[in-house]
Amino acid sequence: MLFNSVEYLLFLPTIFVLYWVVAKFGNLKIQNALILAASYIFYGLWDWRFLFLILASTLVDYMMGLAIYKKKQEQKSGRFFLWCSILFNISLLGFFKYYNFFVDAFVDMVGLFGYPIKSTWTLSIILPVGISFYTFQTMSYSLDIYYKRINPTKSFLNFATFVAFFPQLVAGPIERASNLLGQMTKKRTFKYNQTVEGLKLILWGLFKKMVIADGIAPMVDDIFANYGTFSASTLALGVTLFSFQVYGDFSGYSDIAIGTAKLFGIELMSNFKFPNFSRNVAEYWQRWHVSLSTWFRHYLYIPLGGSRVSKLKSVRNICIIFLVSGFWHGANWTFIFWGGFHALAYIPVFLMGRNTIYKNSVVAQNSLLPSFKEVGQLFATFAIVTFSRIFFRSESLTDAFVFIKRLFAQFTWEPYHHPMGYRLVDYFVLLAFFVVYEFLIRRDERSPFKFKSRVVRFCAYTLVIFCILLFYDDGMDRSFIYFQF
Amino acid sequence: MMTVWTVHSSIFSFDMVKLFVKSLVYIFLILLALELLVRVFHLYPEDSPRYIDNHGVEKRVPHFRGYSVTGNRRQNFSEYRINNQGFNSYREFTPSHSKNELALIGDSFIQGFHQNYYNSIGKKIENRTDEIEVYEYGYAGWDLADQLHLIHAYSDDFEKIDKIIIYVKYPMDFQRPDYVPNINRIRTLNSTTFKIRDNIKLLYYASQIGILDPVKNIIIAQQDTKNNTNQSKKADQATNRELDNIYIENFEKLLKKYPLDKTKTSLLLDKRHTSPTFISYCEENGIDIIDFGFRFEQSKRPVTLIYDKHWSNHGRSLVAQSIVSHLKL
Repeated sequence: MLFNSVEYLLFLPTIFVLYWVVAKFGNLKIQNALILAASYIFYGLWDWRFLFLILASTLVDYMMGLAIYKKKQEQKSGRFFLWCSILFNISLLGFFKYYNFFVDAFVDMVGLFGYPIKSTWTLSIILPVGISFYTFQTMSYSLDIYYKRINPTKSFLNFATFVAFFPQLVAGPIERASNLLGQMTKKRTFKYNQTVEGLKLILWGLFKKMVIADGIAPMVDDIFANYGTFSASTLALGVTLFSFQVYGDFSGYSDIAIGTAKLFGIELMSNFKFPNFSRNVAEYWQRWHVSLSTWFRHYLYIPLGGSRVSKLKSVRNICIIFLVSGFWHGANWTFIFWGGFHALAYIPVFLMGRNTIYKNSVVAQNSLLPSFKEVGQLFATFAIVTFSRIFFRSESLTDAFVFIKRLFAQFTWEPYHHPMGYRLVDYFVLLAFFVVYEFLIRRDERSPFKFKSRVVRFCAYTLVIFCILLFYDDGMDRSFIYFQF
Repeated sequence: MMTVWTVHSSIFSFDMVKLFVKSLVYIFLILLALELLVRVFHLYPEDSPRYIDNHGVEKRVPHFRGYSVTGNRRQNFSEYRINNQGFNSYREFTPSHSKNELALIGDSFIQGFHQNYYNSIGKKIENRTDEIEVYEYGYAGWDLADQLHLIHAYSDDFEKIDKIIIYVKYPMDFQRPDYVPNINRIRTLNSTTFKIRDNIKLLYYASQIGILDPVKNIIIAQQDTKNNTNQSKKADQATNRELDNIYIENFEKLLKKYPLDKTKTSLLLDKRHTSPTFISYCEENGIDIIDFGFRFEQSKRPVTLIYDKHWSNHGRSLVAQSIVSHLKL
């Protein structure tokens, strides 16, 4: 069930009303049971067989959490149980997501040494939706108990609800138990303001998905599918549009997820903080897919020593987290290269000591418009990030390098026409409006309609819905890009 | 304890009620504003009224002018003009023996609401030929039975017309062996539901761009499950050959009732999407065919509109070229 489907339009209000009716009786168990049932229905509608996986992951981490805690109380390390949890989750990911990749890589490698083999080992495996997200979430639970950041819950119901909470189940934000599980163990009460904020975020998320991402998707698909026939200017246009598409798609999903959670009295962490207004690559990673980048920071980078070790080791750590982050996205060398590229872009910023200077500020912090220097920084960062998207979007490394070669070998300018005759100027105006609007609201990613005047707010809602009507394309595949990860 | 619960309960109810009431007010106001925007930017199409005339021919009410809109953001915006005879055309139909006339008969593709009436296929043909008047008898939803009935019903006019070209889509236009006026369609279009849709421009626009399709599809899917008749199973099981036989049989029955003047009548079709069996049948029976599919296949530019399968201006030019080339042979 997609957030942008009519099924969800019926599903969400039904669960919302039932949930608060249940809450009226003050029973937390029934409240969580309802959320859990709704989450399993939501997830099971993709493929009911996936439910067994999520149940297995829930059960294993629930038991491992208790076991680690018990060992800690006995003044023992509990490392064995932690490794059981990690190995189980990594095995799930390894089999469903990476098995064929490793088989192919092995066959290629053996072939390089002059022993070509005809592989019959690859399997037709369906990638369970959201597996990369919920396995990381459950792993963080075991890790947090191991590092004594939290105590485990004794309630299986609460834990299962934490793992399967439907708004963020299939594409995040990847929550930490310290934030989400704590909320699952307390009775939620209806808060008018929180609900309204949730509805506003859902509307803004739908706009980003249905208007920005889905609107430009046909052009991106066309350019990347036929990159061999287009001029360099068209390829540059294609990858720039893809940059907006993937941002609109994923941040739109996150906004809908955070907004939906608010309707149920739950606060999820922010996942996107206007990454297009980053002044360097380090700031970009503080703003893009925050729940994943902080996951890697907390559970991989810092345990490896982070930046408190020698410069050389810190650089090594940076390389590791970016390569792993790339590999997390998909079983393809393109993602590993994408991660590697970001590591290369990040390291100079780190070595110059500029990786945290923008941590607590936004562009044009105390002014209406950014300075010329900031404009230059924004464009440079956007260009670097957009360039990396060539690897992210290409089907294979060969495609990516040919794309890059065509982009730089002989730059020629030719106007682009979509085969279906889409009027490009409409999309340019739309993107300009989007960038300007995001700049205006850049200080608070959770309040897209933060206007004092009720009339202005009303006009903004109307305009956003009007844009959905103007750019709705009934021939589109409406699934979210990050579902494939 | 009970009092606390009651107070809590009443506060909760108040907030929930406040949410629902405010949501409803906002939804109403936003819908009102959207209706206004759709009207201001003229995003909605204007459908001209239809009726069945004294000859039993389904057509448009004469002397109606309006704008047809297709796709989001008025991607196709065109003006139409219904003439005295109830068809969208830049000219009145006044056939006589002294003039050279061509009748172009067909469904919505010939009706041409997706183009300005002064730039229709007929006009394109006239621009490419000398002293030919093209009469476009187009009506959305017509099939071959409608088209042959038209020629029969207005036989006096068609007797004077020098050339008749009937646009057919195989096999959709060959589904029935006799003509019965589609009274139900006229009733449906004049029903309250459609009147509401026509008057609420936002609803009309939303319906046109397909945003309501997911809802419609759910309803249709439920109906289909209920009406899973044996007929569809039979149709699934029938081979292409058997189906061809059924369509050709329908065609023969229609021709028996409404004989074609083969000396001046041609079928306009896309050979790529037409059964070879039917093409062979036409060739064996001396029925002339004009194929525009070849030109469409060769075209590097889109021949159909955005969000719509009707012909684009380029597609219509290619159809006109195909007809003109055939006329010159």
